[in-house]
Amino acid sequence: MRFLALLRKELRESLPWLLLAGLLLLGVGLLTVHYEARFAHMRHQHWSSHSGLGPGEVVNTYDLVHSPHLAWVAMWLAFIAPGLGLVLGICHFWVPLFARTWSFLLHRSTSRMSILAAKLAAAILGFLISPGLVWTGLYWYACRSGLLIPEPIQILVAGWIYIVIGLVVYLGTALSALSTARWYTTRIFGLAFAALAAFLILVQWHLGWVFALAVLAIAILFGQTVAAFLSREF
Amino acid sequence: MAEIVLETKGLTKYYGAKPALDHLDLRVPRGCICGFLGRNGAGKTTAIKLMLGLLAPTAGSASLLGCDSTALTPAIRQRIGYVTEGHRLFRWMTIGRLEEFQKAFFPGQWDSRLFADMIEYFELSKKQKIKHLSNGQRAQVSLALALAPNPELLVMDDPTLGLDAAIRRQFLEGMIELITRQGRTVLFSSHILADVERVADRIVVIDKGVLRADCSLEQFRTSVRKVVVYFENSAPADIELAGLLHFRRSERQLELTLVGVGDAEVADWARQAGAGRFDFVEMNLEDQFIEFTAPAHRRRLFQWEKA
Amino acid sequence: MALWMQISSGSETPIYQQLVEQISGAIARGELRTGDKLPAVRALAAELVINPNTVARAYTLLEQSGLVTTKTGSGTFVSDPALRQVDAAQINTLAERMDTLISRAVNLGLDRSALMALFEKRLEKFAGTLDKGKAENG
Repeated sequence: MRFLALLRKELRESLPWLLLAGLLLLGVGLLTVHYEARFAHMRHQHWSSHSGLGPGEVVNTYDLVHSPHLAWVAMWLAFIAPGLGLVLGICHFWVPLFARTWSFLLHRSTSRMSILAAKLAAAILGFLISPGLVWTGLYWYACRSGLLIPEPIQILVAGWIYIVIGLVVYLGTALSALSTARWYTTRIFGLAFAALAAFLILVQWHLGWVFALAVLAIAILFGQTVAAFLSREF
Repeated sequence: MAEIVLETKGLTKYYGAKPALDHLDLRVPRGCICGFLGRNGAGKTTAIKLMLGLLAPTAGSASLLGCDSTALTPAIRQRIGYVTEGHRLFRWMTIGRLEEFQKAFFPGQWDSRLFADMIEYFELSKKQKIKHLSNGQRAQVSLALALAPNPELLVMDDPTLGLDAAIRRQFLEGMIELITRQGRTVLFSSHILADVERVADRIVVIDKGVLRADCSLEQFRTSVRKVVVYFENSAPADIELAGLLHFRRSERQLELTLVGVGDAEVADWARQAGAGRFDFVEMNLEDQFIEFTAPAHRRRLFQWEKA
Repeated sequence: MALWMQISSGSETPIYQQLVEQISGAIARGELRTGDKLPAVRALAAELVINPNTVARAYTLLEQSGLVTTKTGSGTFVSDPALRQVDAAQINTLAERMDTLISRAVNLGLDRSALMALFEKRLEKFAGTLDKGKAENG
C-alpha cells in the first residue's frame, strides 16, 4: 500500500518523459519502416523491369546484406535511451533538491530504502515499457508486417543493449545528484562512470562481454546509489 | 513531570568548522505546545531536521517518542506529523491526489472528514493543483495534511512564515484543536512572538546554536525583566549582580536586564549601590525575547544622539 | 451566559492575567452571578485560541482568590460572595493600588470633591453587585 503510493507518484512524475521517449521511438520507427518499405519496393520494380526477370523472381542481395532501416532506428534508440536515463535521473533525484520536497517525501512511515526502491522500480518499469516494449514491438512489426525482409535478431539485441545503457546513465545521474561533494571532486564520479561503462559496453563484440560489463556497471552504481541515499543528509 | 516525548542530549551539528548547533539539551513533555524560538540562523531548522532524522548529528543524540532520531521506525514516524519549512509539496499533484498519497502512510488513522472540512473551510477544491495555489493556500493544504492523521507529536518548522494574519490564526486554531485531544504534543518554531505567547505553554530559545532557555512560557515571562534604577548622583561603575544579562547606563540611571532575579534581590542590590529608587519596566514577550537574545555589550543599531 | 472576552496577544499583561481580570471584572459588574458556570477549559481555549493550560491557570487563580469554585466533574462556578474569604493582605494590596491611582489624580490637579465625584460615578458600573450585597447584608 505504502510502496504502491510511492511507486504511483514516481511513475506519474516519470510519465511525460517516458511518453516522449516512447512516442519519439515509435514515430521514427514507423516512419522508417514504411518509408524504407516503399523505397525497397520501388527499387525492386526498377531492377526487375530492366533485367528481364519477372516480378518476385529476383532476390535483391543488396537489401539482404544492408538492411539499414531498423539499424537506423536503433541508432536513434542509442540516443533516446541514455537521454531518458539522464532525464529520469534528474527528475527523480535532482528536482526534489530544487523544489525542496525531500523533507516532505522522506518523513514517511516506511523505510528510506523503500522510498529509493520506488524510484528505481519506476525507472526500470519505465525503461522496460517505454523504449523496451516499443522497440520490441517495432522489431516484431518490421519482421511480420510483410513490408520488410525479416531482420536479424542481433538488431533487436543491440537495441536492448542501448536500453540497458540508458539504465546505467540513470543510476550514474542519480549518484551524481545525491553527492554533496563538489563537481570537480567526487561528484562527477556517477556520470563519468556511467559514460565510461557505456563506452566499454558499446565497443564489445561478444554478447557475453556486453552482458558481463553491463551487470558489473549496474551493480557498482546500484550499490553506490543505495549507500549514498541511505546516508545522505537532506 | 509528564512523560518526555521529545528529547535531545548534547545534540551537536557542525557545518565545516562552524557549529550550527552546539550541545543542545532540551526536553519537551507530553501534552504541551512548545514554541521554538531563535533569531534567523540560530539553528532551529537544523535542530528540527536532526530530530526528524533528515540530518545526522556530529555528536549527541535526539529522540522522538522514545526512538532515536537516526533510526526512526515506520511505526514511530506514523505517530509524528512534520510540517516542512515553506510548505513544499509536490507541485504537479492535485490536493485530492496529495491526500491519497499522504493517507497511504497513515493507515487507520486518517480523518477524511476533517481533511475535507478543512479544505472546504479554506475555500479550496480537491481538484486544484498545488502549483496553482498561492503560498497561503499551500500552507493551508499543508496544515490539513498534518492534522488529518491526528498525530501524537506534531513538529512544524516556521509554519506561519510570510502568511497573513487570518491564515496564521488558522494555524493557531489547528494547534489548539489538536492539543485539546488527550496526549497530543506540538513543537513549532516561529518568529511571531505574539502567536507563540497565545498558544504556547512552553518555550525553547536557542541563540547561535546554543540553548538559552527551555522552560514554561510563564517562567520566561516572569524571569526576564528590566529594571530602571535611579541614582542621586552618578550610577556606580561596577555592577555585581547575579542574573544580570546586560545594562545600559546614562548619567544618573541604570537600565538593567535581569534573568531570574527576585524583587527582594533587586531591592537589596539597589540599597547597597546607593540608589534612590527603582522601577520595573513592563515588557511583552517580544521585548523580553529581544532583550534576552541581545549581545551582552550591545549598541543600538541606529544611534541618533551623539554619545 | 454572555461572557465576552477579548485576549490581546503581544500585550505586557500575560494572557492568564487578562483572563483573570476580565472574569473578575464580569463578576464585579454583575455580568456573572453566583452559581453561573464558567465555560469549560477546553471550550474556552478553542474559542479564544489560547492554550488550555493558560485557561486552567486563570481558573486556578480565580479559585484561589475565592471568586469561583470548581466542582469535580461538573465544572467551575461563580461562588457565593458571602462565602468568599477576604484576608487582611488582600485588602492591603488593594489599598496600595488605590494609592497609585490617587497619586495620579492628585498630579492631575483633582481636588478631594472632584475625586470623590469621579469615584462615585465609576461605582455606578458596579451598582448591581454592590447594592445587592448591601440589601443582603442589611
